[in-house]
Amino acid sequence: MKRFLETGNFAITEGAILVGCRFFAGYPITPATELAEAMSLRLPQEGGIYLQAEDECAAMHLCIGASLGGYKAMTATSGPGFILYADPYGWALGCECPVVVLNSGRVGPVSGITGAPGQGEFYLMRYPTHGGNFETICLAPNSAQECMAMTVEAFYLSERFRMPVSVLADQLITDGFEDISVPENDAEMKEMGFRVWPRKIHQGPDFYPVTDELDIPPVVLGQNTGALCSDWTPTEEGYDIEEVEAHHKHAYRLIYKVRNNRHIFNHLYEKVHMDDDPDLVVVSYGTPSRVVNTAVKKARSNGLKVGALRLINLWPFPDEHFSLNTKYLVVELNWDGELVREVQRAAPKDSDVHFLGTCGDLPTVPRLTETFEKILKGQPLQRIGWEVEAW
Amino acid sequence: MKDRIEIVASGFGGQGVVRLGQIVGEAGVKQGLRVAMLKSHGTEMRGGYVRSQVVLSKDAIDSPICESPDYFIALSSAAYERFKDTVPNDGIILYDPALVEKIDETLNCTQKAFPAKTLSMENFDKPLFANTLVLGVVAKIIDVLDKDMVLDSILKIIPKFHENNKKAFQIGYDYTF
Repeated sequence: MKRFLETGNFAITEGAILVGCRFFAGYPITPATELAEAMSLRLPQEGGIYLQAEDECAAMHLCIGASLGGYKAMTATSGPGFILYADPYGWALGCECPVVVLNSGRVGPVSGITGAPGQGEFYLMRYPTHGGNFETICLAPNSAQECMAMTVEAFYLSERFRMPVSVLADQLITDGFEDISVPENDAEMKEMGFRVWPRKIHQGPDFYPVTDELDIPPVVLGQNTGALCSDWTPTEEGYDIEEVEAHHKHAYRLIYKVRNNRHIFNHLYEKVHMDDDPDLVVVSYGTPSRVVNTAVKKARSNGLKVGALRLINLWPFPDEHFSLNTKYLVVELNWDGELVREVQRAAPKDSDVHFLGTCGDLPTVPRLTETFEKILKGQPLQRIGWEVEAW
Repeated sequence: MKDRIEIVASGFGGQGVVRLGQIVGEAGVKQGLRVAMLKSHGTEMRGGYVRSQVVLSKDAIDSPICESPDYFIALSSAAYERFKDTVPNDGIILYDPALVEKIDETLNCTQKAFPAKTLSMENFDKPLFANTLVLGVVAKIIDVLDKDMVLDSILKIIPKFHENNKKAFQIGYDYTF
């Protein structure tokens, strides 16, 4: 195991290379530029291919091409680039191409603030393209080390589910430095819990079966089989068609291969002080969760019965964590409130759901502690300046 | 060693604020510590606002934010004004009087003036080595840091001017307040 003081961007690059990623196409954008830079250095060293595309839309299309060519492929961007993935994301979902997509959140909308973290793409990760009739998988790490682990996991899931899988990080962890351990062999990868699924090749004849089954190898061009990459509906035999019944079958697979196999990844969450049915559950994902954990541990030492739930698997949304009829506080790096809407939907109807949002900076421990106390005392949260606490 | 040690460095772009945090963090990693180092900056390459926040700990680090820094290295007046009040009474502010013009005498923490820019001009005829001079002081005043590890990290992270960097580091380390 080698130890480095390095960025999340470095960790993601090394994680991707460890599990066999040999193709990266992207367009530089803060805070994922250093990832493109690292890939441009590292991939050629490993016999891989790095391409800087003319824009993000082209970058992800290139990744689809690479995936159809048998490569494990990846692209990375931030919010303003992620929206340009909308078209190819749909192709990758529809044609069932494994691709790993990293989005490092900064403050939006539009160009927003480049050098500060944001969480404005919670729903965009669920609906990265138009049209519906699909499910997506999204994983959200909260440290540089976990960026590596979730990149590894995203490659594993993308192969098994035969689809694009996204990692939602943010500026603090992709640009920030942390001590990072990089495994040097299979035994060390196993020790770190890394799961690897090799690229397999579909030999037909049922290239797009109407089933929710996993582990159907992806279609790879030039393997003495026909193959399809079309924006129309694939038939089971691998021809494309515009036809209602075929599309129903296709949509069934795109939705239920994910929904019916959530057990593969729904262990991806973290609970702190959650064993005794806390009076207040603080829900978050990504870097805010680290301040939340500090604040919750502090609150516990002050006698407050507070617990922390951190979601790593964001989509499909893990409703099962919200069965407790209690008070919830959702902490996010945005002022509009996104995750809080899902928590409100998933929590029992009469539970009390609150929101604390910040824009561009993590919340502070005193601010969180004060908010916990107010909620537990039943005091209303108020609007502080522009920051909305009341929900 | 305390559970966690928080170090903030802030100034403007081009001064090496990120580099400084990176070197302190690298030394921490070499010493087997857990390290988190956040950098925040404006969109400009040079001249904009920059801050490094380093947390050193023996255990896994939850919050990577320095809310009450044990050490604050102020490299501009704006940075000083912005973060001086976060430093607790037992904390230390290290500032360059050439860059921080006005000092708040009402603060209870220890404030140390270190003329890095002037010393760099005197010894090297240019301000380039001010950062390494500061790192010499940092290696001295932050107990948990090992002098040799900090110097090794400087030489690893700054690939050029090794002899002058070694010299600057030693001048900073030997400086008496």
